Amino acid sequence: MPEVDSPTTRLGADGISRRFGSVVANDGIDLAVRTGEIHAIVGQNGAGKSTLMRIFQGLDQPDAGRVIVDGRPVRFRGPADALAHGIGMVHQEFMLADALTLAENLILGAEPGRWGIIDRRAALDRARQLADQAGVDLDWHQLAGDASVPDRQIVEILRLLYRGADTLILDEPTAVLAPSQVDRLFGLLRALRQDGHTILFISHKLREVMALADRVTVLRQGRVITTIDVGSIDQDALAQLVVGETVEPPQRTACDVGDVILDVAGLSVAGLGDRPALDQVTFSVKAGEILGIAGVAGNGQEALIASLIGLARPSAGRMTVHDEDLAGLSVADHRAAGIGYVSADRAGEGLCRQATLTENAIAGEQRPLAAEARGWLMPGRCKQRAQTIIDRYQVVHGGLGRPVAELSGGNQQRLLIGREIDRSPSLLLIAQPTRGVDLKGIAAIHRELLAYRQRGGAIVMVSEELDELIALSDRILVLCGGRAMGIVDREDASTETLAPLMVGAAAA
Amino acid sequence: MSDAVPRALEDGLRLAMPFVAALLVGSILLAITGRDPFSTYAELFNEALGGQSRIAATLTAATPLIFTGLATAIAFRAGVFNVGVEGSFYLGGLAAAWVGFAWIGLGGTLQMLAALGFGALVGGLWMLLPGWLRARMDVDEVVTTLMLNFIAIGIALWLVNGPLLAAGSANSATPMVLAEARLPRLIPPSTLNAGFLIGLAALVVYGVWLRLRVGGFENRLVGLNPRFARSVGISVSSVILLAIVLSGVIGGLGGATHALGVVGRFSEGFSPGYGFTGIAVALLGRNRPVGILIGALIFGALTSAGTTVQLFADIPLDLVQVLEGTVMMLAVVEAVRWARRRRAVRAVAP
Amino acid sequence: MLDNVLHAAILATTPILLAALGGLINRQAGIVNIGLEAMMLSGALAALIAAHVSGSWEVGLLAAAVAGLISAAPLSILVTRFGANEIVAGLGLNVLIAGLIGYLLSDFYGVSGTLRLMPVPTLPRIDLPFIAGVPVLGAILSGKDVLTWAAWILVPLTALLLTRTRIGLRLRACGSSPATANSVGLSVPNLRDGATLAAGALAGLGGAALSLGLVGLFSEGLTGGRGFIALAAFYFGRNRPWPTAFACILFGFFDAAQIRLQGGGLPPELVQVLPYAVVILALTLASWRRRRGPSPEP
Repeated sequence: MPEVDSPTTRLGADGISRRFGSVVANDGIDLAVRTGEIHAIVGQNGAGKSTLMRIFQGLDQPDAGRVIVDGRPVRFRGPADALAHGIGMVHQEFMLADALTLAENLILGAEPGRWGIIDRRAALDRARQLADQAGVDLDWHQLAGDASVPDRQIVEILRLLYRGADTLILDEPTAVLAPSQVDRLFGLLRALRQDGHTILFISHKLREVMALADRVTVLRQGRVITTIDVGSIDQDALAQLVVGETVEPPQRTACDVGDVILDVAGLSVAGLGDRPALDQVTFSVKAGEILGIAGVAGNGQEALIASLIGLARPSAGRMTVHDEDLAGLSVADHRAAGIGYVSADRAGEGLCRQATLTENAIAGEQRPLAAEARGWLMPGRCKQRAQTIIDRYQVVHGGLGRPVAELSGGNQQRLLIGREIDRSPSLLLIAQPTRGVDLKGIAAIHRELLAYRQRGGAIVMVSEELDELIALSDRILVLCGGRAMGIVDREDASTETLAPLMVGAAAA
Repeated sequence: MSDAVPRALEDGLRLAMPFVAALLVGSILLAITGRDPFSTYAELFNEALGGQSRIAATLTAATPLIFTGLATAIAFRAGVFNVGVEGSFYLGGLAAAWVGFAWIGLGGTLQMLAALGFGALVGGLWMLLPGWLRARMDVDEVVTTLMLNFIAIGIALWLVNGPLLAAGSANSATPMVLAEARLPRLIPPSTLNAGFLIGLAALVVYGVWLRLRVGGFENRLVGLNPRFARSVGISVSSVILLAIVLSGVIGGLGGATHALGVVGRFSEGFSPGYGFTGIAVALLGRNRPVGILIGALIFGALTSAGTTVQLFADIPLDLVQVLEGTVMMLAVVEAVRWARRRRAVRAVAP
Repeated sequence: MLDNVLHAAILATTPILLAALGGLINRQAGIVNIGLEAMMLSGALAALIAAHVSGSWEVGLLAAAVAGLISAAPLSILVTRFGANEIVAGLGLNVLIAGLIGYLLSDFYGVSGTLRLMPVPTLPRIDLPFIAGVPVLGAILSGKDVLTWAAWILVPLTALLLTRTRIGLRLRACGSSPATANSVGLSVPNLRDGATLAAGALAGLGGAALSLGLVGLFSEGLTGGRGFIALAAFYFGRNRPWPTAFACILFGFFDAAQIRLQGGGLPPELVQVLPYAVVILALTLASWRRRRGPSPEP
């Protein structure tokens, strides 16, 4: 009997496939999560984790295969169906209504009371009881919009318990948490396992998987590579399984470091509430140098990049490019000063999905192009420019007049990077350069970045992939809580040296 | 190239769908009230297009809608939901009428041009406030522009009942515009006038601007994705401000041509909701120049035909309003959503 | 003089307040209802006809609520089920209903614009025996029709509905975060439909307050933009019942004062635009406060 049909299997996938156009997100996935275990699913971005979870929630339907609950096939038409089967999910984007209090969010959809009147006392009693069980202390009268990130996450978990869920799916729950908060979350999850709950834990942080999970399933490119007891594998071997064929390490040759291009001193950006998003960061980048930015997601990387390109106004500090002070100037001024910008949000910010390839390729350069012809954007000239970028960066496409949304992720990224590098900026800001790109694409992008460096370009690169940072960077600056914890030279850069800085330990 | 035909077909269907549905609603109403929908529509069609004078009447009726539709489209395209074209139309009309009767001595064509220009200027200035509020203060433009319509109408009424009231006139109207300041008529005795040609020219300029000018390019990108536009260095707030003010300028120009071309002055009830019909026109035409023209012609035909059909065939003119309202409601429905409906409902959650 | 203005102001507030409460509930559920004007208009007409035919104002009110609800239905369905833009669809509804009413008036009654039906039972006014004589208080409380009382009772009830009841909580969740509401198993389209229909019924009653309470006849211009004033009121009151009611009484006061202030002070055309100007001012101030720092508002 395949394990998925076994009575000890709480939640399973039986040959689930799902494709989006030419992209195969899930390719015959078999999975069996046993009752009462903490089961981790690991994989790189684009491995198919999110699609599988959406199917487990009824937010998406498989093209083939079945979802199995307690040995029986089910068909979920929405999260409510899943919840009715005791399966609830905590999304990366928290599902809380900001204008409601935490208590109201807890009971929403299953409010205690009679004749439509909410029994607020009963609701609060139940809320406090759940919080006690979980060992947390919450101000239930606080508006969700004002609550801290970990508190919001806890409320989401408690809401699932309140609704009677015994199986929890958590999608990258630690991405937004500080290390101490991660400990608190893990404590709660272990306590839940003790009470017989089943937990499906999605992550790409292997260290956390090793620390928390009983078993782990590795996904790669939409397929299950293996499911294995955590006790019978070490982290390096697991990493090997996740990455698969190792990315060919980029040919990185020494190159002459030139003058200082970017000089940043005491740069701060205001955040929500009292804590600054970026707190007095100082560094400089020279021509022919790649500065990597490491850190747990949400520790100031976005604020740093946004302020360097002029999207966010610094609250204090100075940033100069070629000795020109740019702090507080517009994005157009930053770009004119020779800065290129590759956004982490490729589809939402880096490119305009509904606009054509040509329009995307010339965006940002429309004024110089028009200046050549008294304000006219000649179609022939625009197409020519787009064609140059497309040829040079090998973008596979279905026509210059087609919307960019039709391109695959890798081709979109090549178009975006091509557009920004082809302007020959002296400084390139790039965030998550290879997110959602396949291995071949990753190698090509790495080559492009190194070639740009070779030509004397300076790069500030934010990435959540430590391996990528270590492989490409000349120096790595580590951010934690908006502060620079230290800058590690290439020779010393390794997971061991970077990790402590990422969780806030001061540099030795 | 191969998919150009289906795309045109899809566009055509999108354009036709709300209109066909509206005719259907209209025929139900006609049938319930004991009239034959087919003969009514045939009569409407005949009244709209049967003969030169009727066509001229249709084009006359379409003229203000070309302006208000275009004005709305410029803003919509930049992602600005300006529903305040009615106000610009009112004030532009009043301003032009004032120049037309008061600035005696400029003489002939110059006075006409001054009146048109002043109308456009006032229409544009009227949109400065909501434009600035939206661009710099992030105040929702839908409500401000909606409210400004009523304020514009109130101000205009106050002016024509007081300071600008024609001497000896009991009803709320300005004196008649000097004959030289009026827009020339194209096919006398029809009231079809040069305003129609100005409208066509505005559409052409708009089309060229959209396709070939850097401003049109930035306008489109801001409308499609403001975050993207900002990240490639486009000043989103300037583009938005420009779009909404341009929208006001065109709306004001429309009012000016209406005052100088058709009415001959400004009077109470100057616009029977041209600004709002313009929203339907822009939506029906999907903000494209040719689409706007077609939309304006359709509504113009309905209005001009409805007026005479009411007189001769005892069919209330309000039928036209019913059709117009239905088109407005349905024009914003994505036709494809019918097919994808279930998926769309599910997709509420990310 | 003051008593007269107060009395008239309270009566003028009623239609606006009823529609505004409906719009407020609708907005809390996440839909801006621009079609209130149409719903008021159909309510006003239905009330007059039903009251005339049945001889009873109660039937008139019932008909008004039903007519408002029915005219809200197409708007709601297009918005919640077919992804129509609520603003344009709402504006379209106003055009559609005005046209429909004009068409039916001239078809069935052969009148254009104004419909007089005799006799029509108007809304009874409740005189309070002792208070009536008291200055100011008497003018505020005595001699008011049942809808006025109902409207003011609805203010605290709406507040309770939104905060203390299951349906209220769910509606607010739809407005604050539809994805959240969906994820806990609520049907956002259904809840929003309910809110819009309720807004239609309340706006319909607001229309009845005009045709049966104030005027005793129907005309195409009867509502005179009150649906938009109601919109202005709940924008000004930021979707909270008491501040919205305050805005309504302010606008009702403008309405009543404009008739009596003629000759002295502002011209009536300009008094009429005050509510609209106040809303723009309120929105600007709100935005200014928001930009100055985190707002204490929910």
